[in-house]
Amino acid sequence: MTEDHPSPEALERFILGQLSPLEMRDVARHLLSGCPECQCVTSTLWEPEDVFDEPELILEAECAAEATGDEYDEVLDRVFGKAAAVEARVAEQKESADRLFEELMQVPASRRHLLLSNSHRFRDRLLCERLIEEAHEAGFEEPRLAVELAQLAVSLAARLTAEECGGQEFLHGLQARARAQLGNAFRVNADFARAEESFVAAEALLNEGRLPLLDKAKVLSLLATLRKEQGRLAESLQLCDRVAILYRKLGQWGLLGRTLIQKGFAFAEAGDIESEMKLLRQALDLIDPEADPRLFLTARHNLIHALHDSGRSREAFALLFHTRPLYLKMGDRVNLLRLRWLEGLVAFGLNRVEQAEVAFREIREGFIELGLPYEAALAALDLAGVHISRGRNAEVLQLAEETLAIFQAHNSHQGALAALLAFSSAAKMDQAGMGLVKEISSFLKRASKNPDLRFTYTS
Amino acid sequence: MRKVQPRLKTLFARYRIPSQDTEDILQQALLALVYQRPSIRDPEAWLVGTIRNKCLLYWRDQRRKLYEAVDAAVLEVMAEPTAPAQEGVDLRRDLENLLERLPERCRSLLALRYRQGYEPPELAKRLGYSPSSISKITTRCLAALTRHMVTAGICTKKAEHD
Repeated sequence: MTEDHPSPEALERFILGQLSPLEMRDVARHLLSGCPECQCVTSTLWEPEDVFDEPELILEAECAAEATGDEYDEVLDRVFGKAAAVEARVAEQKESADRLFEELMQVPASRRHLLLSNSHRFRDRLLCERLIEEAHEAGFEEPRLAVELAQLAVSLAARLTAEECGGQEFLHGLQARARAQLGNAFRVNADFARAEESFVAAEALLNEGRLPLLDKAKVLSLLATLRKEQGRLAESLQLCDRVAILYRKLGQWGLLGRTLIQKGFAFAEAGDIESEMKLLRQALDLIDPEADPRLFLTARHNLIHALHDSGRSREAFALLFHTRPLYLKMGDRVNLLRLRWLEGLVAFGLNRVEQAEVAFREIREGFIELGLPYEAALAALDLAGVHISRGRNAEVLQLAEETLAIFQAHNSHQGALAALLAFSSAAKMDQAGMGLVKEISSFLKRASKNPDLRFTYTS
Repeated sequence: MRKVQPRLKTLFARYRIPSQDTEDILQQALLALVYQRPSIRDPEAWLVGTIRNKCLLYWRDQRRKLYEAVDAAVLEVMAEPTAPAQEGVDLRRDLENLLERLPERCRSLLALRYRQGYEPPELAKRLGYSPSSISKITTRCLAALTRHMVTAGICTKKAEHD
């Protein structure tokens, strides 16, 4: 053992990793010799990461914060002041980015990329954010536009510099989100191969360095949805868990609730309704209905559906009764039709066949009016179920033929048409039973997300 | 956001972040908050969560430097000439004692590294780990070794022995 002990200051700086490499090595070597005096000093300085949350330490920290308050206060005041200035600047930039977005959208689609690459004005981080956001929204209504907007976002993100984004980690975060959004847009268009390519690029950025946790969570969340759609449910569930950890770390309880709903979808896809219901209940505890009523309604809607699917129609009915005001408050036509649909399903589950029939007729007509062929066909199949339960074969046949004609007029999905044709043929031969109704319904739900899906008759 | 200031002070004190390093951590977190504001639901909770995470990363970085120094020092001790002085023999014996206290997985990994001079790719091959995970596992083992080297456990035992 060497006689020359490092000073207590040197030992402290050693633990903090603040000595020069040579000095670090010398102290390490000294400690390795087992010097009890120095080890007694270092042992008081060493704190494993996991003790930071112990209550005693928190109390101690509160006292320490008071004692060293001025030092910290000075730093906090200075940084908060700087942040306020940046915030004001960002608010101005946001307005400017919104104007740039409008300008970009007025240009013909074929010229948008050219404009982004040639005009310096359009090299704007917040414009990129807006494109990502719009691509996400377009995914629900106009899938092709979603791809185009996400491609613009990817191209713009590639032109931005770390300085323009407030640092390398933010630039990488933005680029990863743009790539993931493009992957998501391809997924919505059922182009899984190109979706995969985009997510490989996004994941490479995630692995390259430290990204803001929120960006990481968003990329992984979109990837979880892709994996679910690809039928890779175990991977989807694992990704949801990683996203949940990130949101928990960031204290984003609403987003954590959204992730639990997403995980619930994956369980539903796997046919595990009990796990889905458990997650939906947890999600409902986390989502603030005032702050995010739409998300809260989604969770309730899915829970009522799950209760109905698992044969607990009475519980579904009770929950539906309490949720009705929320549907009415949201007010849009599609949501009201979804409410009516649930009412029909629950009524049918409770053997109130006449009520169910009226509800299914209403929603079928509503979706036809709105020009939503998949929803109209699914409602028609539920109505067919009512007719089948009452042995009204002539009505089943009439409904099957009408549904096929209406669907044909609005949509050319070959697999979906084949499924409805099979249903119509079965009805002609008085062979359309509940099993076939369920099979066609389940196929149409999947076909609405995948234009290449082919129908195979199994009933 | 100013109302969150007392909570942040406690947080920095809890993680014992020196005030000169507090500025960087807080600035990064606040800028991220400003830039990502539209997608953040609860800014206060987000800020506290992000800073807590950055404090942990801060310590992880500091610790990594420490592990690297310990690794370099041990490699140097083991690379000394074949007929070492008494000091060298003692150091080797101390290292052996330290390795004895580690979990089996770390013991075999570090023994191969220090006795046979294996580099991480060779360690991965020899111990059946994937090349991508060997660096993580080595860091964990170095962390365990360092912990034993600097904490009270060894201090008490040595003191009793002396």
